[in-house]
Amino acid sequence: MSGGPLIVQSDKTLLLEIDHPDAQACRMAIAPFAELERSPEHVHTYRLTPLGLWNARAAGHDAEGVVDSLIKYSRYPVPHALLVDVADTMDRYGRLQLANDPAYGLVLRALDRLVLIEVAKSKKLAGMLGDKIDDDTIRVHPSERGRLKQALLKLGWPAEDLAGYVDGEAHPIELAEAGKDGRKPWTLRSYQREAVEAFWAGGSGVVVLPCGAGKTLVGAAAMAEAKATTLILVTNTVAGRQWKRELIARTSLTEEEIGEYSGERKEIRPVTIATYQVLTSRRGGAFTHLDLFGARDWGLVVYDEVHLLPAPIFRFTADLQARRRLGLTATLVREDGREGDVFSLIGPKRYDAPWKDIESQGWIAPAECTEVRVTLTDAERMSYATAEAEERYRMAATARTKLPVVKALVDRHPDDQVLVIGAYIDQLHQLGEYLDAPIIQGSTTNKERERLFDAFRTGEIRTLVISKVGNFSIDLPEAAVAIQVSGTFGSRQEEAQRLGRVLRPKADGRQAHFYTVVSRDTIDTEYAAHRQRFLAEQGYAYTIVDADDVLGPKLPTVD
Amino acid sequence: MTTSLADHLRSLPDESLAALLQLRPDLVVPVPADVSALAIRAQSRVSVARALDGLDQFTLQILDAARLTRNPDDGTTATDTVLAMATAGPQPPAPTAVRAAVGRLRALFLLYGPEHALQVVPAVDEVAPYPAGLGRPAAELDPRTASLCADPAKLRRTLLAAPPSARAILDRLAAGPPVGSVPPGALQAPPLGAEDPVLSDPTNGGGPAGSPVRWLVDNRLLVPVTTGSSTAAGTVELPREVGLLLRRDSGPLGPLRTSPPRVAAAPREPKAVDSAGAGQAMEVVRHTEGLLEQLADEPAPVLRSGGIGVRDLRRLARTAGLDEPMTALLLEVAYAAGLAGELEMPGATTSRYGADQQVLPTGGYEVWRAASLAQRWEQLARAWLTMTRQVGLVGRRDDRDRPITALSAEAERAGVPATRRAVLGVLADLEPATAPSPEEVQDLLDWRAPRRSRGRDAAHREVLAEAAQLGVTGLGALTSYGRLLLGDLTSTDERNGDDPLGVHADIESGDPSGAARALDALLPAPVDHFLVQADLTVVVPGPPEPALGVELEAMTELESAGGASVHRVTTASVRRALDSGYTADDLHDVFRRRSRTPIPQGLTYLVDDVARKHGGLRVGLAGAYLRSDDETLISEVLADRRLESLALRRLAPTVLCTQYQVGRLLGALRDAGYAPVQEDGTGSTVLTRPRIRRAPPRVSVTTRTLDPLAAPKLPMPRLLGVVEHIRRGDAAARAARRAPAVVRGGAAGLGGGPVPAHTHSEALAVLQQAVRDKALVWVGYVDAHGATASRLVKPVSIGAGYLRAEDERTEMLHTFALHRVTAAVLAD
Repeated sequence: MSGGPLIVQSDKTLLLEIDHPDAQACRMAIAPFAELERSPEHVHTYRLTPLGLWNARAAGHDAEGVVDSLIKYSRYPVPHALLVDVADTMDRYGRLQLANDPAYGLVLRALDRLVLIEVAKSKKLAGMLGDKIDDDTIRVHPSERGRLKQALLKLGWPAEDLAGYVDGEAHPIELAEAGKDGRKPWTLRSYQREAVEAFWAGGSGVVVLPCGAGKTLVGAAAMAEAKATTLILVTNTVAGRQWKRELIARTSLTEEEIGEYSGERKEIRPVTIATYQVLTSRRGGAFTHLDLFGARDWGLVVYDEVHLLPAPIFRFTADLQARRRLGLTATLVREDGREGDVFSLIGPKRYDAPWKDIESQGWIAPAECTEVRVTLTDAERMSYATAEAEERYRMAATARTKLPVVKALVDRHPDDQVLVIGAYIDQLHQLGEYLDAPIIQGSTTNKERERLFDAFRTGEIRTLVISKVGNFSIDLPEAAVAIQVSGTFGSRQEEAQRLGRVLRPKADGRQAHFYTVVSRDTIDTEYAAHRQRFLAEQGYAYTIVDADDVLGPKLPTVD
Repeated sequence: MTTSLADHLRSLPDESLAALLQLRPDLVVPVPADVSALAIRAQSRVSVARALDGLDQFTLQILDAARLTRNPDDGTTATDTVLAMATAGPQPPAPTAVRAAVGRLRALFLLYGPEHALQVVPAVDEVAPYPAGLGRPAAELDPRTASLCADPAKLRRTLLAAPPSARAILDRLAAGPPVGSVPPGALQAPPLGAEDPVLSDPTNGGGPAGSPVRWLVDNRLLVPVTTGSSTAAGTVELPREVGLLLRRDSGPLGPLRTSPPRVAAAPREPKAVDSAGAGQAMEVVRHTEGLLEQLADEPAPVLRSGGIGVRDLRRLARTAGLDEPMTALLLEVAYAAGLAGELEMPGATTSRYGADQQVLPTGGYEVWRAASLAQRWEQLARAWLTMTRQVGLVGRRDDRDRPITALSAEAERAGVPATRRAVLGVLADLEPATAPSPEEVQDLLDWRAPRRSRGRDAAHREVLAEAAQLGVTGLGALTSYGRLLLGDLTSTDERNGDDPLGVHADIESGDPSGAARALDALLPAPVDHFLVQADLTVVVPGPPEPALGVELEAMTELESAGGASVHRVTTASVRRALDSGYTADDLHDVFRRRSRTPIPQGLTYLVDDVARKHGGLRVGLAGAYLRSDDETLISEVLADRRLESLALRRLAPTVLCTQYQVGRLLGALRDAGYAPVQEDGTGSTVLTRPRIRRAPPRVSVTTRTLDPLAAPKLPMPRLLGVVEHIRRGDAAARAARRAPAVVRGGAAGLGGGPVPAHTHSEALAVLQQAVRDKALVWVGYVDAHGATASRLVKPVSIGAGYLRAEDERTEMLHTFALHRVTAAVLAD
């Protein structure tokens, strides 16, 4: 028995025992091709997927190496069939290549003639392929580059895109690492630098970094590398403003060079930040803002939060295959399962770092997760018990019993900035009154939001109650404590975003706290369990405490 | 004058005859009456074909050489002549190799006679018509061609004049076989005006390309042979002389290889091979168990035409996460190993019409499941090696275009075990951990027994694929434990003959065999602990011990299996554990005892939460009531719209009841997310565990011999017995010819006239004397057709004009009419 740290399961999951002396080396060896699925405290789970293997192949790893590292680190014999399958899968990538032929333009070239014959017959590719130039080459309509890649991936023969990129309209962009307008000098963190290098070498692709790890800066550095006009797609206006602020502070760009293309303003400038929402809005059934993509000769397109990319954007992206594309995200897992489209249209994963590792490097604050269980009053239980199924979660989540607990939690951290996060407006209002704190919700104007955020940032306001609008891409520095009282059922994505709120680096390296207040013995507990499973899988141990321990001083124990 | 095979055999010592019978065991089924019968059988076409089947390519080529060098006058050849021909090529084999090959052929009596006058058993010519792939001599084919061949210079000139396309045809025919068919009309002259030149088309694909053939025929290099009466589609044959001339470069017999072809691939790391194979072996055992569990849960109905339906196979494959061919293979192997069987289903127990048999695990499955991983694998692998099922046929269509289903009679092939053994034998004879490509394996098989392996590439590939799927091979090479298993099976087979009482058998003794022990060393050792993590997963870093496995099965859900296993603790799984009798303390205890890591707080809370709620609802059989100490909970249930159909009624603040049966009430409540517990009349809880159904036990095929087709190996004592029997028959037959002249020619000698009275009375006196003395007598007599015959008998009685006597050879009582007896002489 070799006694390695890795156990290869027949369902293509890899179990990595992290207390093993070779665990770190093994992690480095398998990270390029296996996707980290769960990272609880003792055994991390990786999964071998075709996409993961192809990602590795795109990054230059070969099947032999993958098989070698599996065998080298595996504690038990690895099933023969699995090794064969890995080699076969990896071998499928790059049998077809998209290339630029000097005479014919964009062509699909086969390194394996039979594969080309097989795919050329497929109905899914009808209309995408042009004339046959010779036995190994078929002309491709340039407009079909994206759709062809999508379709080939579905057929299981992902093509390697070697057709290159247009440079786009040049525009000078530099990172202002020396400090700008009297700010302190700064440098890119090592992993950010690696991420940008990996992206640039690959041409297009996705960089996976956890919330708070400075994805914006990776984007800025990529722009400085491209030195060309850039289109940045973000989830909403607030996130867009954040991008703008960050770009002005960290790069040579000025306010005038950055345009905002949103519901409120329609500016097209050398660097333009557009929201998904405005791009996907339709009038009379047609997308009215598609011109933006052709408005300038963009040299780089940045997609923020790729895992939230709406379906229509994929369609537009299919037409943008000649431009460099950078995807930024905390997770490649999409709730709609369109990871394949991200792979084929935006590009393979170029950089990935597990949360815990970045945390241990000190870039994001370690968080302590606590679940506080409150016991409903009898009256509340009775009304919960008799409520309709669809009302139950709301009844449990918005129980008034939670209010004093939240208050007690806020009081526990008198010196910290506290966010109270909820999903139900009524409850938020109650909380706002009870805690005497301002509320940010969907109907709050952007101006008011920014004012409150600024006040929160400066410490004028210590406690902020926010609704679901806080889930996405807003930057709330120095929030050391987050308390969630209700959420969207058991959404794991929401949990990740909320946790991200407190994971931004603290200036003084203080402990961050993440509280979840749940009602005992209700569906609220079940949803909480589901979300906590996600936390545990990310390696965050959580503790469960009783509300009574929070509320009153601890009873003196008699030994 | 050459001796006949029978005479030759008769002159041999007993040991040599026994050796022949051992080499060609088919000769003794049934035991031949005498040496003549043995000789006839040894020269029969079927027996000769069987003997040829087992020969390697080189030996066959030497036999061809012997055939080609036969003296046309008396049909004999000599070892030296054969040697001369075999070494005539550019790369002559070692003379010792040739002599050894001749020795092998003589041992089989395909060649017999003294070294200087060897004879070839004539049936060889029937079995393989063209020696060494050469045609008949020109003299036998066509006189004009013969005259051409008689003039070597002219023949050579003609050959050199052949256009390239014609030459290509010649070369192909020269490599053998020497006959080819030509499209109809290709040999006739084209119609007038369409005189086409010889095309340079190198293929003989028909149409105008037939012309090179015509050129060859016109120039007497090919001879048209008529097969039957049809002349439309012709056949041409290359005369032997032309073939030999074309083979100038390779020698008259073509390229000779005295040893099997080499394998190009360098041996792999033996550890890697074993490791990959062992990994696969674990998979096989696990998947087989999964499949059988599937069958236990939902038995597959047997089709009326036999086998399991395509849809059921697909269902099994999907739930087991396998592809269909693999599922079919494992199913067949499990069935052959006696782990699955049919159960008669009297009555309409299935919803499907006409399905009155189901396939489900047998009782043997329980025994199998209790064995160690390696032993379980060994049982499966043995079953695979011995089972007469060609699983590759499953999913294909038979002659009548009907799909062949798994476990059906259509996939039965008696020759498969021999094929498996041949293919694996090739791997076993290579250096350990050598991984030849399928083509190389085919080449090796072609060399070892060309007559058997020809045209069976597909079957051989199938065996290789199955061996890989079952973990007998790893990375394309035979694993160390696979080698042991194969050797074990072969030696068991050979020993069976000498050990009819099974004195040496150790298979059934319960000790693991060498193969199982070797595999066991490669497999992960069972572990008795697990790691519990905060996301409520339980990781067992290896195969769990049986006790641990039972505990985990009771209280967790399996998430991922393989070398290790990942289980998850969920509300439902904890509830199930509580349902089956564990208490919360038991669960905590198990986790504490088994876990190598601290128990996360979440798990403790989960168990306590579920346990607290568990049994909070109580369901009774009597009148189907529902009671709870918790008034709120009762209200909740009563108000639950999903339970409306139960028509619950509040009996008391803490009790509800329904008119429906308990089962329905329980199900509905659990579906609605409650955790009720059933209780009996005295108020104690009723625990339920699912019952398991099993088919009656079946006997594993592993008890059979490896190759059902192969004739049984006979031990020396029996062989000598057979020889003695043949000898006796032979002696009797010989004796028959030695009858005294008086008896033999009794009537003939006297010109067929009436038997002289004195001779007759003399005979009577002799017979009477013989009856008294119980002596053997030669009796000459005229049978009913007037022919004279003689017999050696022991007279028993004389009376009423008849002699009754016993024939010693046939042990039968004969009755002779006294007036027909011509002579009687006492045997000496």
